[in-house]
Amino acid sequence: MSEPHILLVDDDGEIRRLVTKFLRESGFRVTPVRDGREMRETLKSTSVDLIVLDLMLPGISGLELCRELRAESAIPIVMLTARGDDLDRVLGLEFGADDYISKPFNTRELAARIRAVLRRTSAQGETRLDPSWRFTFDGWVLDTRRRELVNDQGVVVDLSTGEYDLLLSFVEAPQRVLSRDHLLDAARNRVSSVFDRSIDVQVSRLRRKLSGDNAPDMIKTVRGLGYLFVPEVAKA
Amino acid sequence: MKWLFETLVGRTVIVLLLGIMTVQGASLWYYEATLNNETVLASEKQLADRIISIYRAVLHAPERDRDGVTHDLAGGVIEAHWGRQPNAIADPKVMSTWNGLRERLIALNAEFANDALIVGVDRLDTTSHLASISMRLGDGSWVNVDLVPSHGQHVRSDSAILSTSLMALGVVIVTILLIRWLTRPLETFERAARTLYASTDRAPVPEQGPREIRTLARAFNEMQARIRRLVSARTQALAAVSHDLKTPLTRLRMRLDEVGHAETRNAIATDLAEMESMIDATLSYLRGDRSDEEMRPVDLVAILGTISDDAQDAGAEASLQSPRSIVVRGRHLALKRALSNIVQNAIKYGGRAGIVARAEHDKARVTVEDDGPGIPEEDMDAMFEPFTRVDRSRNRDTGGFGLGLTIASEIVQAHGGTITLENRAEGGLRVTVLLPREPD
Repeated sequence: MSEPHILLVDDDGEIRRLVTKFLRESGFRVTPVRDGREMRETLKSTSVDLIVLDLMLPGISGLELCRELRAESAIPIVMLTARGDDLDRVLGLEFGADDYISKPFNTRELAARIRAVLRRTSAQGETRLDPSWRFTFDGWVLDTRRRELVNDQGVVVDLSTGEYDLLLSFVEAPQRVLSRDHLLDAARNRVSSVFDRSIDVQVSRLRRKLSGDNAPDMIKTVRGLGYLFVPEVAKA
Repeated sequence: MKWLFETLVGRTVIVLLLGIMTVQGASLWYYEATLNNETVLASEKQLADRIISIYRAVLHAPERDRDGVTHDLAGGVIEAHWGRQPNAIADPKVMSTWNGLRERLIALNAEFANDALIVGVDRLDTTSHLASISMRLGDGSWVNVDLVPSHGQHVRSDSAILSTSLMALGVVIVTILLIRWLTRPLETFERAARTLYASTDRAPVPEQGPREIRTLARAFNEMQARIRRLVSARTQALAAVSHDLKTPLTRLRMRLDEVGHAETRNAIATDLAEMESMIDATLSYLRGDRSDEEMRPVDLVAILGTISDDAQDAGAEASLQSPRSIVVRGRHLALKRALSNIVQNAIKYGGRAGIVARAEHDKARVTVEDDGPGIPEEDMDAMFEPFTRVDRSRNRDTGGFGLGLTIASEIVQAHGGTITLENRAEGGLRVTVLLPREPD
């Protein structure tokens, strides 16, 4: 596979320069542009694998551009938000972005998220235009837009970044044995700084949070092979 | 009793009652004064006639019958005797009081103009009589008349007192209703003033009611708008500064990779992380609990588990002791921020966070204990004020803006809970958070 082509839209010249430099070093082909107008020009002439879009842009805002892009294509979008505002994140995802990262961000984290989004979207293939963002299992709901888990009683159950990444790997591939290496890779792709903890510790923490009254464990250990997510998962 | 002097109703009632009592008292006094005067005038004439008739009867009676005649004619306010000596001793004070009577007597009998009439006090009994009058007959004997006070002269009218009391009662009731009606708009002011900060876009005080109240309402609304503009201008300025700092910080962070010296790079990275957390704290403080997150059932234990696990992964000493789950109604991310601030404080200033969560009847209790130096009692209250930092560890590296506990306390209070600090007997600080929950 050739180098993925990233279109970077940001009005800050220095950030464009630094991000471009770093992403090129990380093995991406990068085209930096300043605003929505330049973005449209570029999209007419070149094919792009992913767009990194700043939320705060002069002229047309990032949210508007995002909605506009979504109306005509399934191209993956990673939003850059300046505020750590949860509402902005949810909004960005509602408007069709695939992921977001808030400033000030770590370049390594940005690269990891871009890779994760590319991996996920290519796996979904043609169903991209109707992406699923709600996974339900045994009455529980994992909402990937809000990054939120709600149990069968309607109670919000908090997850750490690591636990969320792990659970997402499980619900994307239920009733399949996932090796520790696979889970570790998936998690690394999605970036979690604390993932140096062994997968076993993360799994046991997730198990504790998923355990209901008298309910059997949802995550089964397959000796010598890895883990298996038992419940049936429905996408909505 | 204090209520009487402190409320408008009480004060008005007091003033009105005093007014009624004064008017009633004055009119009663005036009525009785004029009544007395007329009675006196009327009775002077009667007395003079009776005294003269006694005098004349005695004058024409044979000497042996004279005492009997005087006794027969006496009665009521008049005691009469006949004797060889005058009973009365002239007394200027009595004389001036009874001068009207004296003049009438002289007018009826010209002989009295000489020393045949003595008006004064009884020489035998100077106190029990109002006056003593002695009149000399032609043979040198005397008719002695004493005026005795009559009883029941003033008939106190009970019905007057009753009607006054009824009137006063009526006035009190009407006053209470009237003042309540007039002051009702003031309660709206009170509510508006109290909730000025609780919600920034609340409806102003309705401009209605009497003109004075309308004017006050308008002035109040203008003041509220000015305060709101002032606060929001400053908030926006601070938010803009904090927000705009993020772009240069992002650039700095990316340039870090260009720094060759590993030690320098790590030091800069640490400084950057601290600045970022300060900016995040400032922004989240300014945003307050106004986030649009909805109130939902949230598992406190899951939140505390994440916080404690993350702290352990970062190399800090943290422990959690709790039941499997405690559900409260709340805003998930806000609660997580509040509890995380408390735990981070314990780790930063107290070296350790011992978290205990417990479900009580209608409350969830979370305590976080540390092994730090605690907080001097006099600084306890200040801990919740924004931007105050009690330098517990005497260590400038601890950083922060002193917003952690302020944010935590605002969030907990917005959930109807309480947060308290206390120094543990064994040393260290204990932070207790109580959140309301549905009883099982």
